[in-house]
Amino acid sequence: MAIDTRDTREPGTFPRRFVTTTVEVEGREETKVVELPEHEPAPWDEDADLRIVGQRATRVDAPEKVAGRARYTADLTRPGLLHAAILRSSIARGRVSLDLAPARAVPGVVDVIGSAELERRIRLAGGMLFDTTIAYAGQPLAAVCADTADAAWRGVEAIVVRYEPEPFVGSFDAAVAEGAPTVRRSSRKPASDDPAKSPNLAFGSPDVVERGDVTRGLAEADVVVRRVYRTPVQIHTALEPHGTVAEWDGDRLTIWESTQAIFRVREQVALGLGISQSSVRVIKEHMGGGFGAKTSAGAHTFAAAILARRTGRPVRCVNDREAEQTDTGNRPATTQRVTLGARRGGRLTAIVCEADVPLGIGGWEGGPAGMFQEMYSCPNVRTVESFAWVNTPAMMAFRAPGHVEGAFALESAMDALARELGMDPLELRRVNFAERDEKKDRPFSSNRLRECYDRGLAKFDWSAQLPSSGRWRRGKGMAAQVWPTGGGPPAYAIVKINGDGSADVLTGTQDLGTGSRTILAQIAAESLGTRLEDVRIVLGDTERTPYTGPSWGSMTTASVGPAVRAAAEDARRQLLEAASEVLDVDVSRLSARDGVIATEDGSATITFRSLCDRLGDVMILGRGARGPNPTGVGLASFGAQFAEVEVDAETGVVRVVRIVAVHDAGRIINPTLAEAQVEGGIIQGLGYGLFEERVLDAATGRMLNANMHDYKIPTMGDVPRIEVELLDVPDATANHTGARGLAEPPIIPTAPAIANAVANALGVEIVELPLTPWRVLDALRRRDA
Amino acid sequence: MRLTVNGRICQLDVAPDATLLSVLRDQLHLTSAKPSCERGECGACTVLVADSDGKPAPVYSCLALAHAYEDDSVTTIEGLSNGSGPHPVQAAFVAHDAVQCGFCTPGQVLAAVALLARDPDPSDEAIVQAMSGNLCRCGTYPKIVRAIHSAAAAMRGANGD
Repeated sequence: MAIDTRDTREPGTFPRRFVTTTVEVEGREETKVVELPEHEPAPWDEDADLRIVGQRATRVDAPEKVAGRARYTADLTRPGLLHAAILRSSIARGRVSLDLAPARAVPGVVDVIGSAELERRIRLAGGMLFDTTIAYAGQPLAAVCADTADAAWRGVEAIVVRYEPEPFVGSFDAAVAEGAPTVRRSSRKPASDDPAKSPNLAFGSPDVVERGDVTRGLAEADVVVRRVYRTPVQIHTALEPHGTVAEWDGDRLTIWESTQAIFRVREQVALGLGISQSSVRVIKEHMGGGFGAKTSAGAHTFAAAILARRTGRPVRCVNDREAEQTDTGNRPATTQRVTLGARRGGRLTAIVCEADVPLGIGGWEGGPAGMFQEMYSCPNVRTVESFAWVNTPAMMAFRAPGHVEGAFALESAMDALARELGMDPLELRRVNFAERDEKKDRPFSSNRLRECYDRGLAKFDWSAQLPSSGRWRRGKGMAAQVWPTGGGPPAYAIVKINGDGSADVLTGTQDLGTGSRTILAQIAAESLGTRLEDVRIVLGDTERTPYTGPSWGSMTTASVGPAVRAAAEDARRQLLEAASEVLDVDVSRLSARDGVIATEDGSATITFRSLCDRLGDVMILGRGARGPNPTGVGLASFGAQFAEVEVDAETGVVRVVRIVAVHDAGRIINPTLAEAQVEGGIIQGLGYGLFEERVLDAATGRMLNANMHDYKIPTMGDVPRIEVELLDVPDATANHTGARGLAEPPIIPTAPAIANAVANALGVEIVELPLTPWRVLDALRRRDA
Repeated sequence: MRLTVNGRICQLDVAPDATLLSVLRDQLHLTSAKPSCERGECGACTVLVADSDGKPAPVYSCLALAHAYEDDSVTTIEGLSNGSGPHPVQAAFVAHDAVQCGFCTPGQVLAAVALLARDPDPSDEAIVQAMSGNLCRCGTYPKIVRAIHSAAAAMRGANGD
C-alpha cells in the first residue's frame, strides 16, 4: 500500500507519527494530517479465514427495537421536563417584528425567546437563529417552552407577528435574473467577486471541471444527442423528526439529539453558546433515520439548550411534521443540459453537462457533475455547475447527493444515445467502461462493474422485448452507478476487556439504523478472537467514546471498521501476552478463538474469563486508529440495476414490477444488513423516480405539501420484487478490512433504470422527474401529436 | 377516565382533547407508539384496540381521542409479549431483519399482529392491503412481508392448524 509518509514532526520526538493524506467525502477531497498507526493490521484478503465477518449475524439491536424498548430522543423524559415549540415565518422574504408578551401570558408557558433574548448571534445552515430579516418561509423566529407541548403551541399562536413582505426569489432563473432581490442579505461576504455577476450566484462562480476538448470531441462524433433534464426537490422524510432534549447541570450541558454527527453537533453547540467543547456532552442512542438531514445542530437544538439554561429545567424540542418536511434540508432540484457525442460502435467522444442548481438559503456544492466525470471512459468531458441562493430552506446532503440527480440525466441520455446509434443500451455502457478514474487520472482500487452487468444479465432477461397489450405497456431499462466511497481517517476506537472477559468497544460513531452497531461488533469479535455475544459496541456519546466522524458519505464501515479492527487486535495481542505469562508458554504459540486462548496443539488453554480473573484489576485496553488511505488510487463503489415496468396508457400510472440490483462494495461484512441497505436505497430511489416532489407555491414561496399525505413516499404496495446481488470481493487496496461504502450507491441508478424502462415501454422519453401520471400522459400526447 | 392498557386498568385525569397517543406516552410513559406525522398518515403511532369480536384492530393513536376509548382494551407493543418471550411476530421481525432504524417497527409489528388475528395465512396482496398504512422510510418492506409469512406459519403451527 503506497502511503505518503511526510512527517510533520521531527523523527524520534514522538512515538506516534502523523502523515498528510486525502479523504474523499461525497465527491469532495479533504486533506487531513492524521496518525499513522504503529501496528496497521495486514489486510483481510480473499483467503483470510474469517468466522464472524461475512456472516448473516442478527442485527444486535433488533430485539429491543421490536419490543419497543429502543429509546429515541422524544421518548426521553427528565424530571421537570419542559416542552418547546418554534414559531416559523409564513412569508419567504421580508422583515418581521414580534410581540412576545402575549405568549408569556399563556397558562403553562414558562419562557419565550426571540432575537432580542439571544446573548450571541448563532449561525445555522439557513442563516442566523431568529433573524428578523426573513429569507425563507419556515424560518425560525422565536421559541416558547411550557409545561406541556400543547401549552407551548398555544404560546406560539399567541405571539403577535407583524410582517413586512418583500419580493422573493423562488427559482434558479429568478435568482440570476437582472435586478433580482439579494437572497442572502445577512451574509457578510459578497456572493461573487465579480460585480457583474448576480449576487445570488453561490460560491463566486460556476464550478467547471474539464478534461480534453469537448468541442473537438463533438466534432469527431458520428452521433450527438442533446437533452435538458429536470429533477425535483426531494425531502428526506425520516420517520423520526429532528429533536433535542437539553439539560444543564451547573455549567455543563447534556444534549440528547437525533443526529448522524455527535461530535459536529458538540462543536456547533459549544461555538454557538460560547462554551468549551468539554462542557457539552452529545448523546445519540437510537435514531429514526437521517439520510443526510441530521448532520448539524439546528434551531431546535439551540432553542432547547438556551431555554433550558434560562429556565433551569430540562427542555425537549422536537420538530412537528410540517417543520420537518420544510426546514431540515432537502435534495435540491436541478436543470441539466446534457450533450453526448459518440462514434458508430458507441465509443463516447464527448460528455457535456451544464447544471443549474438552486440551493436554497444555504448549502454546499453538491451538484451532479460526479456521475458525468467518473462513470464512463471519455477523453473529452466538461461539467459546469452553477449554484444559486434562493429564498427556500437550505439544502442538505441527501443519500448520494448530486449523483442521484446526475444519474437520471446521464443514464437517460445514454439510452437516448443507444437508440440513435441503434445499439443495445447495456452494450453501449460496456464499450465505455471506465478502467481508470479518468477524472483524477489514476487507477481505481477496484472496478468490477462489468461483473455487475454480467451477474445482472444472468438474472434479468435483457434481450427479449416484453409483450404489451391493451392499456398496459411493458418495458425494461437499466442504469449504472459510481460513488466515491472508500472512507478514511480520522476514526478511533478503544477496546476495554472487562473482568469477566467480555469486551466494550468504544467508538464515537452513530448507527442511523443502517446496522453499524452490528457490523462493528462482528469486526471486533473477529479481531479479538471472541464470540459476537461477548462484544458490546458503545457509540453515540461524545463523553464516553473517542472521536469518529459523521455518519455520512457511506463512510462508516470503511472508516470505523478498520479502527475497531486495529483496537481489537491491539487488545488481543495484549491478551495473548498476558496468557503467555500466565500459562508459561511462548506467545508465538498462542492464538484466540471464541474467547479461548490456546496453543496450536491444545496443550495449554485459558478462557478470556479465567485470564481476566487472574489479571484482577489489571485492565487490557486496546487502541486503534483508522490509517491513511492509499495515495494515487480512486476508491469508489459501483453497481447496476435493471428494472421492469408496466405503464397504464390510460391513466399514466407507472408500476414497477421488478428490480434486479448488483452492487460491488468490496467485502460484505454482513450480507443480510447489506441487502437491507440495497433494498432501502432502491425503495427511496423508486419514490424519487415516481412520486416525490416538493411543491412550492409560486405566489408565496411556501411549501404546499409539507406532510406525508401530499408528499408521497413509497408504501409497501409500491414496492416491486427486488433481487439483490453483492459481489463481495475484498478490496485489500482500499483498507485492511477490504470493505467500501454501500449505503448510498443503491439509490443512484433506480430512478434512471425505471425511466429507461418507461421510455422502452412507451416509445417516448420523459426528461423530468418524478414520472407522475400527469407527466406520462403528457408524454403520450406529445408522442401521438 | 378509565383506560385498560396492556391488561392493566388505569384511572387517569385526561384532558377532553388529549389524544390516546399523548396519554400513552406522557401519562403512562409507554413510548413505543411514536409521534411522527401526527395526522394519521404514517402509522408510527399504531396501537391495538380489541374489536367487538375480541380481535385486535390497529388504531392510529395520534388521531384517537383518549376519552373515546374508555372501557376499551388497548395494547401497545410493551404489552404484546406479556413476559412470556417475544410474540411470534416480534421473533419473525428479528429473524428476517425486518428492522432498520426501528422507529416505525412497533407500529409495523402491531399492524401485522392485527392482520394475522383475522387472516392466519395471508397472501402477499392481503399483507400489502393491511400494511400500507404503516410507512417505513428505511425500506424494510420486503423483509416485513417475509417476516409476516414466517410468523403466520409459526403461529399456525403453534395452533395446530
